[in-house]
Amino acid sequence: MPAQRTFGMDHPHHEWSPVISRPTLHWPDGAAVTLCVVIPLEHMEWQAPPGSFQVARLAGGSAPREFPDYARLSHREYGHRVGIFRLLDVLEKHGIRATIAMDALTAEHYPYLVRHCLNRGCEIVGHGISVSRMITSNMSEAEEREYIGASLQALEKATGAAPTGWFGPEYGESDRTPQLLAEAGLTYVCDWANDEQPYPMTTGGNPFFALPLMYELDDVVSISHKLMPIFDYERMLGESFDVLKEDGANTGRLMAVNWHPWLVGQPFRIGSIDRALSHIMGQGGVWAATGSEIIDWYRQQAG
Amino acid sequence: MALPPDRIDYLPLVDRPVIKWPNDARVAVWISPNVEHYEYQPVNEGVRNPWPRTPYPDVQQFSYRDYGNRIGFWRMLEPLDKHGIRCCISLNLAVLEHFPEIAEAMMERDYDYMSHGIYNTRYLYTCTKDEEREFYRDCIDTLKRHTGKPLKGMLGPAISGSVDTPDLMAEAGLIYYTDWFHDDQPTPIKVNSGKLISVPYSIELNDSSVLRDNHYSAQYFADICKAQFDRLYEEGAESGRVMCIALHPFIIGQPHRVKYLDDILGYIMSHDGVWQTTADDIADYYIANYYDQAIAHAQRLAGSSIE
Repeated sequence: MPAQRTFGMDHPHHEWSPVISRPTLHWPDGAAVTLCVVIPLEHMEWQAPPGSFQVARLAGGSAPREFPDYARLSHREYGHRVGIFRLLDVLEKHGIRATIAMDALTAEHYPYLVRHCLNRGCEIVGHGISVSRMITSNMSEAEEREYIGASLQALEKATGAAPTGWFGPEYGESDRTPQLLAEAGLTYVCDWANDEQPYPMTTGGNPFFALPLMYELDDVVSISHKLMPIFDYERMLGESFDVLKEDGANTGRLMAVNWHPWLVGQPFRIGSIDRALSHIMGQGGVWAATGSEIIDWYRQQAG
Repeated sequence: MALPPDRIDYLPLVDRPVIKWPNDARVAVWISPNVEHYEYQPVNEGVRNPWPRTPYPDVQQFSYRDYGNRIGFWRMLEPLDKHGIRCCISLNLAVLEHFPEIAEAMMERDYDYMSHGIYNTRYLYTCTKDEEREFYRDCIDTLKRHTGKPLKGMLGPAISGSVDTPDLMAEAGLIYYTDWFHDDQPTPIKVNSGKLISVPYSIELNDSSVLRDNHYSAQYFADICKAQFDRLYEEGAESGRVMCIALHPFIIGQPHRVKYLDDILGYIMSHDGVWQTTADDIADYYIANYYDQAIAHAQRLAGSSIE
């Protein structure tokens, strides 16, 4: 519905809350910045089912190619076979446990990866069915409920536990998604890239929160779409952190990054991630945590 | 049930047979110039338009690519020869018929060749199975006739293919396919008959995607090639890796770019433990030594995950 010219947001999902008018946010041990590394493990389908929605510039592969696009399919698969292991090794070196956004097709068909991520102490959050089937308002409410339910069931079956977080493939939502996620028993969502702190969403039921990602620090956005050289991306990560740390001395900041293993897990890119994390983790004052740890702390602080 | 197209068994990097290259090399490095001809007036079969900018001919785009054969190829040979590189050419086979000096230059250097189709403006999308079978016969015969060499592999023409391509390649006796970007090592591809593997080519270290499509600088291309080599060289101490650099004479052979190729090759070749080779030789070696192991290991992993 078009905006009405009145105070506040033009949607019901959260309140208007500029950063200057909030209570001070304290992170554990006085950290200025909390780092959350989100890693999507998402499957690119050979042929998406009829009626499913993909963004126009779905990343991966060579130039846009016709079916069968072995290049794009296999470029994405690189993440599951090779890139994820490089990325998790780098995170482990810096004492960071990842928040893995895993889609249902990955959970069902890559049991080795599920076990590997759990053994590394990663948190696993819902990530839809596949990257080639995103949530949009084209779905009916019943279809969307079923989609969310199927995604969560696949993860529960594969991991033995129901996830508490959600990150839609390609940040996809309809205008009712936060409410449906909360009704499905979830606690937080990563689709909203509009803040540097967690914040409460107003879904009306159980407490439900946003864990906002940094849009420009998303590797697909900056490297794949905007064609930023990897060494500039590395520098951008460091410079972002420096400012967040400065601002975080007044009220805690969240630096939540989204890193695709098929992209930053390539041999020539992984060194930049390693060096950026050395910069970020090397000076103290940073709490590296998973999504649910951050939300649990935030809820406790917010009382 | 496996996910379609079910061509590649899952083998995680951290749990697979260790690969040892000849002479304990850490990285098998292959350089693949795409020696191509794009037709002046191709037929648009309705799936991909070879020259979408204008009605045919598009003289600007045609001649930009033809520059590669008239000028760029010869300039590109200088750094390749300087560093003693034996290339594996991704070849539009009609080049052998159109441009004999190029054929002679490649044969003098004992290069290997993989098919890249007949022309870069004729795709596999609309082929019937029998037409695609005839296509492989044509590629095999043309290479044999002009160079005396057997055809072993293919990068699909302009990276096009059909759902049957792996099966039909193997049926024709080819042993490797380079349109797959899922790994830094060769891997078996499941086919109806015969044996087919993937040898990692590159869309990341490719002058066409990096320099032409994505507008990065040649200095950046050199930097990422070196960074790629450094990482694979480090990892290759434990288990051999493959690194491919894909080139196009009309791109890398531009006067302002060629020194960066010299820089890249000089850096790589200054290291011990580099197997500078071709996709033909990587495929032969992998199939002789690791194909069966890889399949057995993947089956064990699949079995252990059913519990």
